[in-house]
Amino acid sequence: MSKTARRSVTARLAAPAALVGVVAVFSFVAFSSGSAQADTTTSTTAPVTVSTLPDAQPGTVQAVPTAVSAEPSASATADSASNHSGIYYTDLPASFIKPGQALFAANCSSCHGSEANGKAGVAPNLQGLGAGTVDFWVSTGRMPLANTSVQAIRKPPRFDRIQTLEIAAFVQSLTPGQGTQVPLVRTAGADLENGNTLFTLNCAACHTISGAGDALAEGAYAPSLHLATPTQVVEAIRSGPGNMPHFGPGNITNTEARDIAAYVTGVLQHPNDAGGVGLGGIGPVGEGFVGLLIGVGLLMLVCFWIGDRA
Amino acid sequence: MIDKSLNWIDDRLGVAKGGRSFLDKIFPDHWSFMLGEIALYSFIVLLGTGVFLTLYFVPSAHEIVYHGSYVPLRGQKVSEAYASTVGLSFDVRSGLLMRQAHHWAADIFLGAIAVHMARVFFTGAFRKPRELNWVVGVLMLILGVVNGFLGYSLPDDLVSGTGIRIAYSIMESIPLVGSYLAFFLFGGNYPGSGVIIPRFFVLHVLIVPAILVGLLAAHLGLLVKQKHTQFPGKGKTESNVVGSPMFPTFMAKTTGFLFMTSAVIFGLGGFAQINPIWQFGQYEPYQISYAVQPDWYMGWLDGAARIMPSWEWVGYGHTIPLEIFLPAVIFPGLIFNILLAWPLIEWYKTKDSNYHNLLDRPRDRPKRTAAGAAMLALLFGVFFASSTDVMANFFQLPLMDVLWFFRFFVPLAPIVAYFITFKICHEMRDAENIGKRKRALIVSRTTDGEYVTAESAPRPGDGHEELEAMPVPTFIDTTDPELATAAGVRRVIR
Amino acid sequence: MSDNKLSPPPATLDDPHLQPATKNPQRMQNLAILAMVVGMLGFIAFIWVYWINASNEWEAGTLAVGMLGLGVGTIAWGKYLMPQGPFVEERHDFHSSEPERAAFNAAITGRGGLEVKRRGLLLGVFAVAGGIMTLALAVPGIRSLGPKPAKSDDNQGSTENSLFTTNWKKGTKIVTVDGRQVMVDDLEVGGVLTVFPQGFEGSSPDQVILIRLAQLGPNDPPYPISPPGHTSYGVQGYVAYSKLCTHLGCPVGLYQERTQQLVCPCHQSIFNVNSGAIPEFGPAPRPLPQLPITVDATGQMRANGGFDQAVGPGFWERP
Repeated sequence: MSKTARRSVTARLAAPAALVGVVAVFSFVAFSSGSAQADTTTSTTAPVTVSTLPDAQPGTVQAVPTAVSAEPSASATADSASNHSGIYYTDLPASFIKPGQALFAANCSSCHGSEANGKAGVAPNLQGLGAGTVDFWVSTGRMPLANTSVQAIRKPPRFDRIQTLEIAAFVQSLTPGQGTQVPLVRTAGADLENGNTLFTLNCAACHTISGAGDALAEGAYAPSLHLATPTQVVEAIRSGPGNMPHFGPGNITNTEARDIAAYVTGVLQHPNDAGGVGLGGIGPVGEGFVGLLIGVGLLMLVCFWIGDRA
Repeated sequence: MIDKSLNWIDDRLGVAKGGRSFLDKIFPDHWSFMLGEIALYSFIVLLGTGVFLTLYFVPSAHEIVYHGSYVPLRGQKVSEAYASTVGLSFDVRSGLLMRQAHHWAADIFLGAIAVHMARVFFTGAFRKPRELNWVVGVLMLILGVVNGFLGYSLPDDLVSGTGIRIAYSIMESIPLVGSYLAFFLFGGNYPGSGVIIPRFFVLHVLIVPAILVGLLAAHLGLLVKQKHTQFPGKGKTESNVVGSPMFPTFMAKTTGFLFMTSAVIFGLGGFAQINPIWQFGQYEPYQISYAVQPDWYMGWLDGAARIMPSWEWVGYGHTIPLEIFLPAVIFPGLIFNILLAWPLIEWYKTKDSNYHNLLDRPRDRPKRTAAGAAMLALLFGVFFASSTDVMANFFQLPLMDVLWFFRFFVPLAPIVAYFITFKICHEMRDAENIGKRKRALIVSRTTDGEYVTAESAPRPGDGHEELEAMPVPTFIDTTDPELATAAGVRRVIR
Repeated sequence: MSDNKLSPPPATLDDPHLQPATKNPQRMQNLAILAMVVGMLGFIAFIWVYWINASNEWEAGTLAVGMLGLGVGTIAWGKYLMPQGPFVEERHDFHSSEPERAAFNAAITGRGGLEVKRRGLLLGVFAVAGGIMTLALAVPGIRSLGPKPAKSDDNQGSTENSLFTTNWKKGTKIVTVDGRQVMVDDLEVGGVLTVFPQGFEGSSPDQVILIRLAQLGPNDPPYPISPPGHTSYGVQGYVAYSKLCTHLGCPVGLYQERTQQLVCPCHQSIFNVNSGAIPEFGPAPRPLPQLPITVDATGQMRANGGFDQAVGPGFWERP
């Protein structure tokens, strides 16, 4: 009877082990799904992300010169009768230029030159690109760049919000009125449906429909949009950083840019992951792995329990 | 009471004679014989959840304005197919669970078929007399893949719409008849006259499943008629089957397994998101998302299309788009035909026309095993090639380098896999006692000071004793008063 | 065949084959019952969860626990509590006996075969009629499905029934998907826009990708496009290409501004924008067809003619 004895030993172990394993997998999945939530099915208004200029980054200094914070709100009320675009532009205060020049000289001029006119083969000319372009590159942490041979990646910014705007103000002061300006984006009341349509038409081809980003030709890649702020989205649309095309107001209006920014920050960054863990937003590749490894794999373990192994 | 009703049935149908031999049908106990059941039971889940979905899905390309509960879509013009699928997910209670379970069941169905098929292939279970059942199985695999694609296409979302567009172009690429085929199926030049979703729907829910059910019945019927194969072992010969009887042992196990399969599928359906079409949006022929791939069972075709060089044949006023036709029509055609014809191919090589009810160990058939490994290497190669962009992004590599890697990897991997597998099989065949638990070596010193080694006695559990298999008893003698007192609880003799 | 199965003597209840596989059946039975009860509770919980309309996760979780419990209990019942066996079954020859075979073959070749031979003409007519019937049934079954593709670009085709035709004609207004007329200063350098012929917004074969490569005025020298592209097809720094990939017809929507490439998101064919969208890498065999464009006096962008070839992927009739 030693055969039966052996069988029952393994059986006693196998049954609870399989049970524990399955429950463990489910609970793991359940827990990790708890974090991401967006109330897109129930809320009827757009998620509100008002970015007061300068748009506040977590962990940065909130003390904003009154001159800056007062001005846009004044212009906002002044424009609100005629302009519902949700994007407001304002000149950066002249007092920013001087500290900006110092910051630029210390951190940027080694590549871009003290007059920001670039160095052939090393760094591009920044003159005429505008404060918004500079703000985008510095606030996303892409600049300053350590290795010029690879595409700059998003990293925690080196400068706080004010310092960033000071650098932007300095570069802007070299070519007044030219280039992309720093926008104040108010996403409250944005049309998410329109943002959805425009994103699919203009952005999804590179950034993917979930905003996860993907690899492009020539070693470039379209970055993930999951950390972008509304200001950065609009700056990117307008300035076309790197390989990204430029979308001027004739192509995407201010209102449309605001809708896209609202869709990116409101929906893509908080996707409605009804139905479980999002599996990375990379479509059927991830699903295939889960289906085969977890689905078929678990069931094969069950087979292993039911059947003989000899 | 039971006796009475059974007699009532037998009076009318005469099931007793054949029915009992069916109840006594022996199923081998080895775990690998359960793999096909994963496919069978996920198919049952597919049928059940599928019926639920048809109650709510509207197979129509007609455009309506979306008014459901998913805010970013409200006010958008979408097709009824898309709107009803989003509605299924958000506005029909349990709809999302059923939809996701249906999709996971499809992924698992085809995965289980692949695993089951690998088992049958590597153990030689397809040999005489089971060639027909192998062919039926391959046909079910093909239809499963086709139906998976059809179902994946129905919601009319951005990702699946791109898939339909590619399917159209593949059809178009067939020489002579391609554009006619595509025009007829789609009702005109792409995107056609709005008929493709209703047509795919009928194919997906009626025609293909009906054929699948028919083939499934044939598959199981042949299995019962021809009886199972079995691994060689004590008391197992070419002319018997050893295992558990259909009733009650196997029936209990397999019913339990149906529940387990459903549990895994519904578990995934609730906890792992699949195909969140509300995030993708409605398909428009001028819109595209990056990182779109088909479901995994179509991925190998996508990968083949990606790594194919741009060879188009042009001449005599005609064009043959070999860059599509070869990877997307000829390649799968070749693979499926090799699979269908494999019993014939092997017969041609071995000229073996004996009956085979005992299975091979893969290592004892190095050439077949190596050929199977080569096929798997090829399919895995093109499968992974379908996610070059995702890999390039994930590993931070240039996209073109990844593509070039696969252009070499896909043709080379099968060759390497063949020779490595062949070598391993030979090594394993020549090694002694392979697969058996090693016994301890006892080194002892004799009185003369000489060291000798000897194997220890078998450990308990090694070389366990088994009962001699017996035929399923017709009647069980319960007249023994001592035993009868046990009143239902069987006495355990130990 | 069942006769010899009926013959073995009845087994006794204490036959070791009939004993449960486990040493302790009572305990295993309790475990199986416990599992089934857990399953039962799971199903009850599912109904409750559905009743209160809780989340998808709760529904799936309760249902899965229910099925898991029931499954584990049933399997344990079958594996540990039922007769442990092993049992054996004899196989029988698959083929019939020689006389049966001979009779069967004779019935076909002899009885039927002779009859068929004797009435050869009848058989022939029957076969032909049957074949034609199949054909007759297939004709509407296939031909009704859709229109026949128009033979070539002979102006009879529309985009619905011809692979050669698009709705781009000389003077067609270029509009966005919303039907908004595209003006010459709408795009900045490095800007990109998906456009359609007016009246056919959203049409698949007509989709065109409009790119502004340089800021040029009406009197500046044209932006040079290397062959096979045409410099004269562009206007004021704009170029327009068919957005249908020549590989499998996906929209080539991915414009890399710095490297001046269009990439197809489906299979990563890469087209060079500066040289008439010639494919630089990937499976696409042909350049994207270039659309000649112009700007009228009011600054509206218009097509300066149709495509000079069929757009999209290759097919047999394409010259």
